[in-house]
Amino acid sequence: MSDLDRAIAQLRSCRPIPESQVREICHKARELLIEEGNVVTVAAPVTICGDIHGQFHDLMELFRVGGDVPDTNYLFMGDFVDRGFYSLETFLLLLCLKVRYPDRMTLIRGNHESRQITTVYGFYDECIRKYGSANVWRYCCDVFDYLALGAIVLGASNTLSTGTEPVDEDTEIEVCDQSGTVMSRFPRPMPRPNSAEGPARSPNGGGGSGDRTGPPGSGASGASGGSIGNPTGAVLCVHGGLSPLIDTVDKIRLIDRKQEVPHEGAMCDLLWSDPDEIDGWGLSPRGAGFLFGADIVKIFNHRNDLSLIARAHQLVMEGFKEMFDASIVTVWSAPNYCYRCGNVAAVLELSEDESGTGLFARSNGDVGRSDGGRGVMMEGETFVRNGPARRYRVFQAAPQDSRGMPAKKPVADYFL
Amino acid sequence: MASSSEPLGPPPRPAATTNHVTSTNEPFPNPKELDAATKVHTQGAFQIEARKLPISKAGPIDELNEKLGIPVPEMIFGDNLIKITHKPSNWSISFDAFGALNRVDKEGKKLLKVSYAKDWERTREDTTTKIKNIVKPYDWSYTTDYSGTESEGSSGQRLAPGIGHYIPLALLQRRDPMLFFEEVILYESELDDNGISIYSCKVRVHERRMLLLCRLFMRLDGVVVRINDTRVYVDFDQNQVIREYTAKEELFQSLKRKLVMSGRLPDDVTIALRDPNILDPLLTVKKQMTDAVKFRE
Repeated sequence: MSDLDRAIAQLRSCRPIPESQVREICHKARELLIEEGNVVTVAAPVTICGDIHGQFHDLMELFRVGGDVPDTNYLFMGDFVDRGFYSLETFLLLLCLKVRYPDRMTLIRGNHESRQITTVYGFYDECIRKYGSANVWRYCCDVFDYLALGAIVLGASNTLSTGTEPVDEDTEIEVCDQSGTVMSRFPRPMPRPNSAEGPARSPNGGGGSGDRTGPPGSGASGASGGSIGNPTGAVLCVHGGLSPLIDTVDKIRLIDRKQEVPHEGAMCDLLWSDPDEIDGWGLSPRGAGFLFGADIVKIFNHRNDLSLIARAHQLVMEGFKEMFDASIVTVWSAPNYCYRCGNVAAVLELSEDESGTGLFARSNGDVGRSDGGRGVMMEGETFVRNGPARRYRVFQAAPQDSRGMPAKKPVADYFL
Repeated sequence: MASSSEPLGPPPRPAATTNHVTSTNEPFPNPKELDAATKVHTQGAFQIEARKLPISKAGPIDELNEKLGIPVPEMIFGDNLIKITHKPSNWSISFDAFGALNRVDKEGKKLLKVSYAKDWERTREDTTTKIKNIVKPYDWSYTTDYSGTESEGSSGQRLAPGIGHYIPLALLQRRDPMLFFEEVILYESELDDNGISIYSCKVRVHERRMLLLCRLFMRLDGVVVRINDTRVYVDFDQNQVIREYTAKEELFQSLKRKLVMSGRLPDDVTIALRDPNILDPLLTVKKQMTDAVKFRE
């Protein structure tokens, strides 16, 4: 058993590893991450996860529900630390798994992977408490600076792989619980000629604005929708959302990311912005940060040949929330957030296209996807790619007795 | 030192599974669940209810957004409730998230800005300066002066301002046995990682008296800290209810200075800034109001 495997075993049982070992692993991780581009290319199948926030035992539950590493290919969209009690063990375990299985584990940066935010929201204090000094926090923060800003998933199929129950090829969305039992299924809406109104698609989309842009005219459907079994457009994964300074994925690749998360600019927006039911771009009433509407997402997806944007950053009670005619989805993976919200969490599984055309070699470098033969869409075309088939695995918080700590009960006190 | 939890065995499966994504309009929780989540305690002529449930789902959140006209905080406990009822007359005072959020400034008349807003604004690059539309200005700090929802009973009596009413702190400092204790959160926002805004209620009931403290604690990092407290005191012998509302505020830097001056080390200051109980005595009182009602029977 190597030192790394021993560290993984120790962290899996929620015990911190010695400071010297943290330094070594952070160093190795940095060497690995420095080779990755700002936008990592990931081949389906992949399981996409949202915020974890130091809820270590719930991360173990996530691995139980989604499959263990390296059997399952994981993509975590940031916010590993802060708020929960085990930010340290959570982040170090994910990092060790990244070092051990670099091709099965993709980590991208969230807005909490920052010096400033971790000082306020718990990770810094936790490191001080567990090690007596800020060294480990510093090692971790140095790794944060090297995390990728986004990922592109290629080769996702528009049919689901067989889960615990057989699934037919018309199913676009399947929601199952933590034991794999199917809770609901939503068929892919068939393109209807001359009909602007697509059927309601999203299970909890909260009524995306506008109709689903179906392929104009039935003639186009063969080429545009992609017949069953074809790979779909790529999926962009990013922690927060879009930026008015970024109109193509390639522009993300040009950012100098190796720094603390700045308070403004494209890098900040990617980690901080939120979708909202507005037209175009808006300013957050907080005086900093952008909000973006459905039209922004649709134009961006169209221009970059994307079928979906997956992001995290916002708590959703149901674990996932599709918006804007399923052009963007929020995935949230911290159940019973802050140990008191009572929400469920979810991971998003995209299956591999098996038609043979969906095979892409994984590359961590800056691969110009637009050279991949597909080309960037012309503005005039109103062509919408079929979304990939999506399986959401919804799960609850790990049972109390697995935590080794009592539930957060109200402490009766003589308050005044 | 480090946590000392044992290695994990295979975790047992939680029994309950949820089935909540088939429709956003699914009635949840149903009345039975509401009852099951409610703790009730009766003391003298008064009944105290505390209801605790998970945060609201997408459907109820959309409804609430609509009803309020502002986006609700990300942690919204729409079904939670604290209620005190005078049983003979059916008079009651209750605290819920809708009531609290309905008293938030919905037009953003005095819009707060995050500490780095100026820098952000200044450094916005040319391409983004044309984006001027502030989305739904409202008090996103969710500061509320809510002091409960009162419902008049059969006797027609209501809380009324009066002189000489005060909550007897000395009696409440005694370590009388606690017959009932509960803590209920109505909403919480992380202010997009710029601090915290939380509305929480604590109640303790003793044989002859009870105290309910409903507190809005809002800390906008680098800008301002506010604590708006509503205390409801009930004297079971006298059949009397006294309500006291206090609004306090302090600029963040001044508060930080006070904490440093009291001898705290920098790391300690950060921790103190999370604890409203430590901050409370350091804030300046902006407003105070007392009213009371004494029931005839």
